[in-house]
Amino acid sequence: MDWQALLLTIRLSALVAAILFVISLPIAYWITYSPWRWKFLAEAAVGLPIVLPPTVLGFYLLIALGTRSPLGHLWQSITGHTLAFTFQGLVIGSIIYSLPFAVQPFAASFAAVDSRLIAASATLGASKFRTFREIILPLSKPGLVAGMALSFAHTMGEFGVVLMVGGNIPGVTRTVSIEVYDQVQALNYSAASITALVLLGISFSLLSLVYALNRRVFAAWLWK
Amino acid sequence: MAVEMRDFAPNRAIESSAEAASALLSLQIRKRFDAADPANEDSFELDIAAELSPGITIIFGPSGAGKTTLLECIAGLLRPDRGRIAIGNRLLFDHALKVEVHVHQRGIGYVFQDLALFPHLSVEKNIEYGIRELNLALREQKSRTILDSFRISSLLDRKPNQISGGERQRVALARSLVTDPCLLLLDEPLAALDGPTKSTIVEDLRIWNAAHRIPILYVTHSREEVLALGNRVLMLEAGKIIAQGQPQKVI
Repeated sequence: MDWQALLLTIRLSALVAAILFVISLPIAYWITYSPWRWKFLAEAAVGLPIVLPPTVLGFYLLIALGTRSPLGHLWQSITGHTLAFTFQGLVIGSIIYSLPFAVQPFAASFAAVDSRLIAASATLGASKFRTFREIILPLSKPGLVAGMALSFAHTMGEFGVVLMVGGNIPGVTRTVSIEVYDQVQALNYSAASITALVLLGISFSLLSLVYALNRRVFAAWLWK
Repeated sequence: MAVEMRDFAPNRAIESSAEAASALLSLQIRKRFDAADPANEDSFELDIAAELSPGITIIFGPSGAGKTTLLECIAGLLRPDRGRIAIGNRLLFDHALKVEVHVHQRGIGYVFQDLALFPHLSVEKNIEYGIRELNLALREQKSRTILDSFRISSLLDRKPNQISGGERQRVALARSLVTDPCLLLLDEPLAALDGPTKSTIVEDLRIWNAAHRIPILYVTHSREEVLALGNRVLMLEAGKIIAQGQPQKVI
């Protein structure tokens, strides 16, 4: 078992889930409440990583992170090194790759908040921001936790994007899923099976949490 | 009907809603809804002009007459196509002058048909939701007064799903009234309650209204409530006022 790879994967997933939480809240809010008629295009763009082959996404990311792109160029002029094949590059790639797994549960749970409660909050003098913070967010807790768990699990399981954007550098960009691939390539099946089992266990636990939150009985503790 | 229009200072904000407490509600509202499927259903137009003085005014009419739409326009939840809405000298909406005060700044109490109590907050938190900006002492004093006058002091720590229908009704009323609204909108607030529960709540509301002279618009489709409650009734049908005056005469 490559503990270094596991720790790296957990660090990556936790960081990505935390950043996704912050950026997905306004995106999901906008998707839920904006009256803009073309917003379905934005929704489709956010959802792209679900259907796009990871290699395609990874390819575009690699170009976007490269030194010839504005982002890659800016990064290099500030930090002195490139974004591609670094942990930071992996974080950016994973954020985009897992974006729909945070935004969609968030948006679904915002949309499920009774619009009368939002109207009531406004008639009681609360601004939109206060209504969001005190009514919409607390009532969306199960969806928020589900979105966090899903984006964490999805980041843990990514392979194609990591390989394209991060490469396979031990301790820097070598995640658990790549380690499994390496071990299989090396016909090292017993090591691969242990790593695979750990990944399976973590993923199953996280998905169990997500589905448990869809049942009121288990969601109830979040309300307290 | 003829509507007497007075001159208003455009959107002169007043210090507190209490200042407007004895003021007239002046309404001119037009709002058109085009049917999504023209072949299937007619489009609907709300066209209302009225001046309402403090006290309870019943808005009576069959479902689909535009009663809730009227309330939503007044509260600012819907934007009228044209017209103006003012309380005393405070202008809330004027299509021609492009004035539109945002919902959360109108100071209008609204009790929804389904009450819309916040399910995750205790009764106490629900009631204090609209007076958060006041200092603690004032906030406690106000909420205690309203809790006493609506006899719900014993429910403070309960959640909305842990109290009875009548109690929920009282909490919803108290939550709106504690903010000292300049106008109160009630959308079939007592429809789900039995007779005795209904009349004690109405009595408490009357006592409160005697001390706080604001206009109250009370929407209902029940004749019985019209006769029991109002000194004044506006009868709505298909978006228009078809009759108004004393309940006994109108009905």
